[in-house]
Amino acid sequence: MEAMTVKRQKAERLADEELMPLIGQKDPEAFAVFYDRHGGAAYSLAYRVVGDRAGAEDVTQEAFISVWRSGARFDRARGSVRSWMLSIVRNRAIDALRTRAAKAPKLTFDDDAILERRPAAERTEEEAMRRETASEVRGALGGLPGEQARVIELAYFGGFSQSEISRMLGVPLGTVKGRMRLGLEKIRGELAEGLA
Amino acid sequence: MTDVDHERWSEDLAAYLLGALEPERAEAIARHADGCERCRAELRWLTPAAQALPEGVRRMEPPPELRARLMAEVEADAARSASQAEPPRASELDRRRPSWLARLGAGPMGLRPVAGVAAAILVVAAIAGFALGGGLGSGADGGGESTIAAGRAPGVTATMVNEGDSGTLRLANVHQLPDGKVLEAWVQRDGEVEPVRALFVPDRDGRASTRLPGMDGVEAVMVTAEPKGGSEQPTGEPLITISL
Repeated sequence: MEAMTVKRQKAERLADEELMPLIGQKDPEAFAVFYDRHGGAAYSLAYRVVGDRAGAEDVTQEAFISVWRSGARFDRARGSVRSWMLSIVRNRAIDALRTRAAKAPKLTFDDDAILERRPAAERTEEEAMRRETASEVRGALGGLPGEQARVIELAYFGGFSQSEISRMLGVPLGTVKGRMRLGLEKIRGELAEGLA
Repeated sequence: MTDVDHERWSEDLAAYLLGALEPERAEAIARHADGCERCRAELRWLTPAAQALPEGVRRMEPPPELRARLMAEVEADAARSASQAEPPRASELDRRRPSWLARLGAGPMGLRPVAGVAAAILVVAAIAGFALGGGLGSGADGGGESTIAAGRAPGVTATMVNEGDSGTLRLANVHQLPDGKVLEAWVQRDGEVEPVRALFVPDRDGRASTRLPGMDGVEAVMVTAEPKGGSEQPTGEPLITISL
């Protein structure tokens, strides 16, 4: 037990990039530290996309297990470990949404399409609260004009393509592209200012 | 490349970073960017903006059971990798096959689900510490859930929730497991007991849960205490058995 604690403490001192090779060597302590650092963000993102706890747990579990089983194939050239992990979570969450949508009855692209495509059984009280705040943009999206935030939300958190968003909102494809670009540019500008 | 040509690619870079392009177009952009310094520079500039999006999500705490399940699975994997043991031969498995498996084949030994529960199937489990005692009987009272205690141990409540073709098994009041033991779930289908590869452990409050994928055709769910890393076949009596 003491050896375990020492190992854990050692792992806690390592940077994410240093944990990755250990996870690749099937070191559970390194994995535990990795999960403790990023599990919260991963679960929150998964919940934001799929909209229910059980689904978010599934997505988070699958994403972390895929990292564990794949030997943590992290490529430094593609950014930070955290961004890489969250991109895995996002992609799995979108896959889960699409799987559900494929099983659900045909849907129309109405204004609440993201919420509507979830099974009725999942619409718990918590989900109802979430629905009220579904349009609330936070963090990086908070300062954007509504139409820019909306296309970015639909794309990143809803998994819709720009063509689908164009049809959904009834605006030309070029407008969607422009709003996405302006929105990302604005967020980027704010990030750069924050670093200055 | 002319400015017009570049513009055709550039106008899709934001959608590319947001994952909003059809796969073919996304692949084309990636290939193009490999040879286009202007696009690479734009992508380098915009990437942090896309990566900031998940960080702005309202923070939620993952349930402790999720960590417990993950670690149980990870430690099981690590133990398997370390042992590199060959799987036992079929005859050995047969010898190790506990008698309760045979009993399962002979007929249901668990409890029936409470009637009238549609979306969520609430069922009742019986437990007697780590040894199944006799005298099982239904305590269902129409309230959708009931608990049965048998033997000396306090009753454990099991809730099985169906979610599409998968399910979540939630246990409450589970005793802490001996060192080196984990809970492992099994399902019975067509009279045969199959592993689910679901290893989990109770938290400090005696709660334990696990996801059970592919519940189509499952007749019963069982949980046994197994050595860390799980087993190919149950090695002991079930702590709980739930007939569906």
